[in-house]
Parts: sequence; C-alpha cells; structure tokens
Amino acid sequence: MAAGMKTGTKLGLLACLLAVATVMLWFYLTRQVSLPDDRSLFVVAFLAAAALGVLAFVKGTSLPGALPPLVAIVIGLFLPFTISISKQTVETDRVIAVGDVIPRFSALDGQGATFNSDALHGHLVLIKFFRAHW
Amino acid sequence: MTVSTDSPETIADERHLHGLNARMLSDVDLSVTDAFGLRNTGVHSAPPSHESVALPVPATLLVDAEGRVLWLDLSENYQQRSDPAVVLAAMEAHFDTL
Repeated sequence: MAAGMKTGTKLGLLACLLAVATVMLWFYLTRQVSLPDDRSLFVVAFLAAAALGVLAFVKGTSLPGALPPLVAIVIGLFLPFTISISKQTVETDRVIAVGDVIPRFSALDGQGATFNSDALHGHLVLIKFFRAHW
Repeated sequence: MTVSTDSPETIADERHLHGLNARMLSDVDLSVTDAFGLRNTGVHSAPPSHESVALPVPATLLVDAEGRVLWLDLSENYQQRSDPAVVLAAMEAHFDTL
C-alpha cells in the first residue's frame, strides 16, 4: 500500500513524524527542567519539519494526505515563532535598580506558609525571579 | 530565594526536579513581581492552563543585609535565565567583600 502513496504524501508523513517527535522531546525535556541552553538543534529540526511539509505540498498529496504536512508546518513554525517574539518588556520607570532598597512583601512558600520579607533583614540574599517550573 | 508564578502546591510537587534547597515563594497574583517592577508586559509563553495572567522577567538580584540591591541581572529573553557563571562572578564580587 505504501508503494501506491504519492511522493508528497510520504514526505508529509515524514515531516509530521519529525515535528511530533521533536515537540514531544521538547516538552519531555521541559518537564525534566533539562532543556539545553543552546536550542539551535531544536530550531533546525522544527524548521526542517516545516520545510518538508511545504515540499510535500509542492510534490502533491492526496486529500487525506494533506493533513500530516499541514500539522508539520504548524508545529514546525511554532518554536521559531515563539523565539522570534520572546523579547522582554518591563515598564522601565518602575523596575528596581542597583542601590534601591527592596520593597517589603509577603508571599506563600511551597508549604503554604506565609513568608515575610522582614525576615531577610541582616542577611545577604540572592533573589531569583523566574516564570514557573515549566 | 526564588519567586515564581507557580502555586504553593506546584512548588511542593515540582521542586524535586531541580533539587533546590532555596526558599521558593509563590507569586501567582504577581504582587511581589509588581513590587519589584519585574512584570513582563510583552508577549509571554504561559500555557493556557497556567494560573497567573502574566509572567515576571527572569531576574537575579543580590541584596545586602540592609535590603539594598547590590547587583541585578535582567534577562532580555523570557526563554533564558541568568547565566550561572555570571551570577557566581557577581556573588564573588559583591558578597565576598562584605
């Protein structure tokens, strides 16, 4: 049956497989908090999947065979797109600066207990803000 | 000490993943983030299921015993955090002399 498939359909399936495998690896590594700092290989894999998807359409697919390359293109462009728009914006007139005294605050910790920033007084502290565990 | 938009429950569930001994604070409503002026007002990448409406800019601060900021590193890209080597160098420069 595979022999009867159009070249485009086969390429589309390959593209979809590459896109899905790459995105699954991406989310697995995210979950393990072990994404590499250098993500260029991921970008290459995603773009390759998208390009293969486009090539599949150029070669021509059957009607149901159009779905896998379409999926590949959407997934394949997602990460390069998010990287391209990931510039930070803060309201610069409000952001804390060197020499400022930190504001007083309270927040819940992982045990659900309230932590008050007054407890930091007298200690050298490293404070790290990050988005979330993912 | 860390501040993130994870809920206390998520912090309790996930902290084994990175093995941090630091005190980890939950800032779902971004009140701490806003007090420091660190809310990212640009596009952010939170999945739709995430509890908070916005995210902080990844930032690392060194604070002295009087609560004064000695050093500050803001990340320009939300997918990146402060380079550990840069933070360690800053700690050596600022904390070791005190």
